[in-house]
Amino acid sequence: MDVSNILASHAAKFQSVTVEKETPLDVDIGFLTVTDLTPIDEDSYKSNLEEYLQVTARDGIQALVAALYGLPTQPSPDGPLAQLPPPTTQLPRAKPLPKPKPPTKWERFAAAKGIQKRVREKKVWDEERQEWVNRWGRDGKNKEKEEQWIHEVKADAPVDHDPVKAARDVRTSRVAKNERQRLQNHARAQTATGGRDERKKDIERTLATTRISTASMGRFDNKLDGEKKLKGVKRKFEATETCVEQEKQASLAVLSKLDGDVKRARKEKGAGDDVLNVRKAIRNVSKGRGGVALAREANKKGARGKRGGKR
Amino acid sequence: MLRTVKPRNARSKRALEAREAKEVEDVRTAIFVKGTHTGEILNGVMKELMALKRPDAISFSKKNTVHPFEDASSLEFWAGKNDASMFLVGQSTKKRPAGLIIARTFDSRLLDMCELGVDKFISMAEFKTPKSTPGHKPMMHFASELFDTHPRFIQVKSLLMDFFNGEVIDSICLPGLEHVISVSIAPAPSLQTANPILGDSQEEDVQNLPKIHIRTYTVKLLPSGTRIPRVELTEMGPFLDLSLRRHQAADPEMWKAAMRRPKLKKQDLEKGLGKKKKNLEVDEMGDLRGRVHIAKQDLNKLQTRKMKGLKGMLVEQDGSSEESEQEDDPRQKKRKRD
Repeated sequence: MDVSNILASHAAKFQSVTVEKETPLDVDIGFLTVTDLTPIDEDSYKSNLEEYLQVTARDGIQALVAALYGLPTQPSPDGPLAQLPPPTTQLPRAKPLPKPKPPTKWERFAAAKGIQKRVREKKVWDEERQEWVNRWGRDGKNKEKEEQWIHEVKADAPVDHDPVKAARDVRTSRVAKNERQRLQNHARAQTATGGRDERKKDIERTLATTRISTASMGRFDNKLDGEKKLKGVKRKFEATETCVEQEKQASLAVLSKLDGDVKRARKEKGAGDDVLNVRKAIRNVSKGRGGVALAREANKKGARGKRGGKR
Repeated sequence: MLRTVKPRNARSKRALEAREAKEVEDVRTAIFVKGTHTGEILNGVMKELMALKRPDAISFSKKNTVHPFEDASSLEFWAGKNDASMFLVGQSTKKRPAGLIIARTFDSRLLDMCELGVDKFISMAEFKTPKSTPGHKPMMHFASELFDTHPRFIQVKSLLMDFFNGEVIDSICLPGLEHVISVSIAPAPSLQTANPILGDSQEEDVQNLPKIHIRTYTVKLLPSGTRIPRVELTEMGPFLDLSLRRHQAADPEMWKAAMRRPKLKKQDLEKGLGKKKKNLEVDEMGDLRGRVHIAKQDLNKLQTRKMKGLKGMLVEQDGSSEESEQEDDPRQKKRKRD
């Protein structure tokens, strides 16, 4: 049986998928673009323009499709989804890069304590009604107390106690507190980036420093128009004879600043976090036993872990 | 200047936040504007290009007296108001018939633009062939070495890529690749790359820059022997022959600001590929396969007493416990020897 014809046609199919070019094609898969850097062939251009263009385009796109089909794929209902790599050509942006926002007070605390952000679901299971109810919003569970038709009232409540109003006040006060904290965060973000006044002061300070940053410390430089007079430090000299008490106070003040290393270490240890109250955090985690107990436990666990535990 | 809008409800706040700058940007919205006089050709060209650009295209219905090369302020105002960053202005005068200006903005200010003259145009309706689905991402093909060497053609390539294909996406549905936009340049043997000594005078002197041909084809993927299909192209869509006219290059400082990339760390996390990952390869089925290299294990020293999986059979049945034990032992012995 002569199968050479079948084999030849089969082989021909394989060949038709490859593309041979003198200069390799520049394929930017991320942007689905292929650039063919071979110079245009004038003869074929002049003889049959459209055909030449179509043939070059076909070759280029064949190479691009080959590259695309070589990417890792994921199945999807519409067909295989190819995972594209980031593009290689650089295109200019339409808007400048966003500036990073400073973290809010809660975000700093959460980062210091290691709290992960958890997004809560909007629906919550209501045991009474045996269905999923909105946590907030339309027919939300947060308004349950206000919308009840009957309320339990304590015996010693005043006559004009309105339980609906009381529940509503609790909710609105929470909303108001949230809004207040959001505005505080916003204000803090604005000042952190530096308001106009701060920037102005910064500039004036820099200018003053540059004015005295010359070889003669700014003494013999010409004053330009519009520059303000530099404020100098007024030197104050004590009288040669002061009373004994004042001298004693001055000397003791100098001595108190010269603290020993131990005292300084103790003071610096306490100076740590303005975000996290370390004392309270240790008390919470150690359940009142203290930092030393925590360290002891940590060491025990570490030692056990190293040996291999229960195996 | 545009007044800053303060959001009054959640919906307007969301709309405002959508307009803010993002690390990975959205696709550029293009505005199609007509000048005081546009001929039939230009009207057709703009309509076709808008069909290719949908849905990220806004078309102004009224004619505007706008001369981008003299005064770009109206472009900047429209960019800010419509949150768009590309412009296609069509203007036909006696001196410059059928002129199409492609302009880009950065931070609501004009970045760069290029004027192209339409020499020949055949619309999609003339080609009685099936068209691609609107909204699908086109593949692009650039054919000429000038796209890499000549600064004007580099700008044209960058503008066209940004116009059609600017969005950075991380995955694409392979059957959805339906059409190709092929841009090629006519051969010009006497053309040198831009001579810095002569500067602009060389180009404005003799407009001997070669013409640009834009063709659009639909792609048909035929089965071949391998996983990679064979590509066949059928002409569809607009047939454009363009010649280069005036241009305005980008201010180098603005260009540098526009080309700034976000720090690689965020990109790394998103794309998962900062540098080339070793020991990963894609096999013929399109799955990602990894290689794990482990050291050679001395099987004589394996602790099988600590492998709970091997003990499972002993505990099952009381009656046949002896048999299972006997079965287990040779099995265990076999495993140890492995």
